[in-house]
Amino acid sequence: MSRGDKKGHYEEIEITEDLTLPKLLLRMAKKYGDRKVALREKEFGIWRPVTWAEYLKNVKEFALGLVSLGIERGDKVVMIGDNRPEGLYAEMAAMSVGGAGVWIFQDCLIDEVQYIVDHSDAKFYVAEGQEEVDKGLAIRDQCPKLKKIIWDDPKGMRHYDDPMLISFKEVQRLGRELDEKEPGLFEELVNQGKGDDICLLFYTSGTTGQPKGALLTHYNMLKMGQNLMRVDPCYDTDDFVSYLPFAWIGEQMMSISCGLQAGFTINFPEEPETAMENIREIGPHVMFANPRMYEQMVRNIQVKHLDATWLKRVAFNLAMKIGYHVADLKFAKKPIPWYWKALQYFAYLICHKKLKDHLGLSRIRHAYTGGAAMGPDHFRFFHAIGVNLKQIYGQTEIAGISVLHRDDDIKFDTVGKPIPETEVRITEEGEIISRSPSVFKGYYKNPEATAKTLRDGWLHSGDTGFIDADGHLVVFDRTKDIMVLSDGSKSSPQFLEARLKFSPYIKDAWVIGDKMPYVTAVICIDYNTVGKWAEDRGIAYTSYPELSQKPEVYELVKKAIVEVNKTLPPAAKIKRFVNLYKEFDPDDDELTRTRKLRRAFVAQRYKEIVDGLYSGVEMIHIDTTITYEDGRISHIKTDLRVQDVPES
Amino acid sequence: MSWLPCGVYHENYKQDHRWWQTKFVWGKMIFLFLFVYVLFPRFAGLYWIGVANIIGYTVLSALGVQLLIGYCGQITLGHAAFIAVGAYVCALSILMFHLPYVVSMIIAAFIAGLWSVLFGLPSAKVKGFYLIMTTMAAQFITVDFILTQYVSRIGGRGVAFSLPPGTIKIGPWVIDNDVEIYYLMVILVTLCTLALANLLRSRVGRAWIAIRDNDIAAEALGVNIVKYKLLAFFVAGVFGGVAGAFWVCNLAALSPEHFMWSWSLWLVGVILIGGVGSIHGVFFGSMFMVLVLEALKFAIAPLAPTFPQLQMKFLFLKEAAFGLAICLFLLYEPNGMAYRWWQIKNYFNLWPFSY
Repeated sequence: MSRGDKKGHYEEIEITEDLTLPKLLLRMAKKYGDRKVALREKEFGIWRPVTWAEYLKNVKEFALGLVSLGIERGDKVVMIGDNRPEGLYAEMAAMSVGGAGVWIFQDCLIDEVQYIVDHSDAKFYVAEGQEEVDKGLAIRDQCPKLKKIIWDDPKGMRHYDDPMLISFKEVQRLGRELDEKEPGLFEELVNQGKGDDICLLFYTSGTTGQPKGALLTHYNMLKMGQNLMRVDPCYDTDDFVSYLPFAWIGEQMMSISCGLQAGFTINFPEEPETAMENIREIGPHVMFANPRMYEQMVRNIQVKHLDATWLKRVAFNLAMKIGYHVADLKFAKKPIPWYWKALQYFAYLICHKKLKDHLGLSRIRHAYTGGAAMGPDHFRFFHAIGVNLKQIYGQTEIAGISVLHRDDDIKFDTVGKPIPETEVRITEEGEIISRSPSVFKGYYKNPEATAKTLRDGWLHSGDTGFIDADGHLVVFDRTKDIMVLSDGSKSSPQFLEARLKFSPYIKDAWVIGDKMPYVTAVICIDYNTVGKWAEDRGIAYTSYPELSQKPEVYELVKKAIVEVNKTLPPAAKIKRFVNLYKEFDPDDDELTRTRKLRRAFVAQRYKEIVDGLYSGVEMIHIDTTITYEDGRISHIKTDLRVQDVPES
Repeated sequence: MSWLPCGVYHENYKQDHRWWQTKFVWGKMIFLFLFVYVLFPRFAGLYWIGVANIIGYTVLSALGVQLLIGYCGQITLGHAAFIAVGAYVCALSILMFHLPYVVSMIIAAFIAGLWSVLFGLPSAKVKGFYLIMTTMAAQFITVDFILTQYVSRIGGRGVAFSLPPGTIKIGPWVIDNDVEIYYLMVILVTLCTLALANLLRSRVGRAWIAIRDNDIAAEALGVNIVKYKLLAFFVAGVFGGVAGAFWVCNLAALSPEHFMWSWSLWLVGVILIGGVGSIHGVFFGSMFMVLVLEALKFAIAPLAPTFPQLQMKFLFLKEAAFGLAICLFLLYEPNGMAYRWWQIKNYFNLWPFSY
């Protein structure tokens, strides 16, 4: 089914204090009924559509099912699993009966799941399949408030016989029975909701300590979506692919807030592994992802480009040169002369059109990145190929977004200007604070943290930044992460790391240098690309640790660092580095689930490496343990070589 | 799976199975039809229309061979026999029973199909070389024995069946010159290609492909091998019959010489060069074989005064060229021209990458 890019329809709704997300769902289902597709899920090779009326019916049945299982207003429902329609049904159902949804990252380890389930006082645990059910069964003794575990994928569930377990279908059947007995109950329950009710309890990833639960109301969520779409309207003909975890605020922002208000179609991929392929099939109009996704796209392109045949490489290089030039003119807000426009069209024909097709960005109108810093090189790259990539800045505590680039005003070193109804200021200490209707209610059961973050209605972000001459917000880094260099200047490790990650061979980097004589880096190579690079050159290796320690690989990484060093002030130049024997992993607590580096933790964990980098030794001896996802622990003994980076 | 551009997706299987899914393909196919049905007959000279008719006849003949060899794995070296049956049955029913051409063609196709099943029966037991022998037997029994010795003598017309001009007509449409034949040809080629392409994506076609890939595994999957093999022979025979019945209108007189064993071999060559297991291959192969021959004729025309031998022994030259073409293809393009076509398409689909 191919469609043109005709602009659809967007009408701003009035958000009263009474409006809730489920009320909006009722309204949309009435408006579109069976005439428009609300959700699609790829299954058995086709995108199976769910109309708005079916969407509502599923939510209604599940909500009433929860009622017959004894849910009450204010109860929490924990959800864990891939992105799929059932997850959305469960979330909307919980909200419909006055409860709140709590999403858990699917790859969370058991202790994290236990902490969240216990801390949120959840009564229901909606699991996708056997794996999540097992996690639920393992923690139920520690979480006495948990009443039922609901599962939806029957695969592997045949021999589970436990009174606590109930299937999604069975809950819906109970709901249908209740509906027959008490018709109109669902609408009544939905109408009891107020805009000020809590709809979501969001456990923020937090780069330090235990996750904190941010309480967001219907009003917060709706206002945020509305203000975002006042800048960039979404249309009801748009397609959106929901593939990033629902436990990330960005995904909720698009799927719930914007999705319900604009009425666009949400598409769920077949499996997380097929997400990129599925995105290509759908060709979304709007996309919001973390920088990692975009970095991965660039890395794939760079590697494939290296392997392409001569003519294709020439076409790509030429088109990129033109693209970069035009993008730079656009960033500088200079008019683009007609001949550059003609050349740009030429570049589009010979390369960018196909490139966007491969990435699934053919129809993209707005691509957003947020959640972490993105390097300027990546940013320029996407603008060079004609993808309108924009930075979003915000926190979970402000329902996801407060600052955004405008279409004609994009600067790759800033995050843009505040969205409507949002004020952003810089405190005297340089901290970014913001105020808007979307600022959260507080942290669940944590008044101290709430008081620290929320002062006089201002949300204190903990990020350092400034507002530049054009009124753009520039986010420097987390206040606690900022490095003071040897010459007394300040530098952002995130920025250096993002620059390093433009090399296709570097997957992750950790830059150290706070109050140190010089700057050093710990590099995690990209196993796929470096592995392929090594194979092409006949370098034998058997594992990640071995590959990372090859002298040739060290040379490769050194070249990438020298390239980055060229543009850095002398004090910020990276002088020494090591290749780590493993990739950073959220399961080892090195990254948050949204893949931000937890500096304090790694600094403590890899203390020997930091010491080694600053002591002048050639080799660092490592003796440590690794935890696997299934809880197994293994012991590692290895030596890491320290490499000096020559001047220029 | 064919390559689809970004943003093309399907909500149900009906959409998923549509032939032409993008505007680009629609445009391409509309242009192709416009070219074949309007532009070519209008602007090409009679010579080229004649060449096109030969290509069309080759395509119709080779479709059945492609089905048997390329999709069902049943190697046949006797396909000319079924074409001959089609031609003779069609001519006989027009001449002796005065049936209309279309009806005769249908009867011819049906009888050719049954005749093909008769010789396909051994395929229930034998495979490979032995099957080649039985299909060759079909060739010799049908053409060299039955047709030459008996059928050709019907009505005491000697060895030639000649159809008086104007006998071949569909309703008021009299097919008596190359342009009319051309139109009949493109209609038949369109219908037969459509029929085969649709058969191949149905249960039947999948069963054939399963048998080709591994007959024992296919049987284990519940495919009735004998039934589907015979069905393949039947359908291939029907295509052969249509080809034969079509060719009647291009021949002043029917004679067994038109359906010799070399034609069977030629058809196998067509699909080898075009690409085994590809409908595109049938077209590429037919065009290649016919056009190379024409080019050869052109090439030796200026040499003829100096080397009269060349023209006199053109038949041998033709066979030599045919042999050389097959050898070169087997050496350098063993998957045929269809594979090269696929690679070219891929080259651009993957642009600016190589994978």
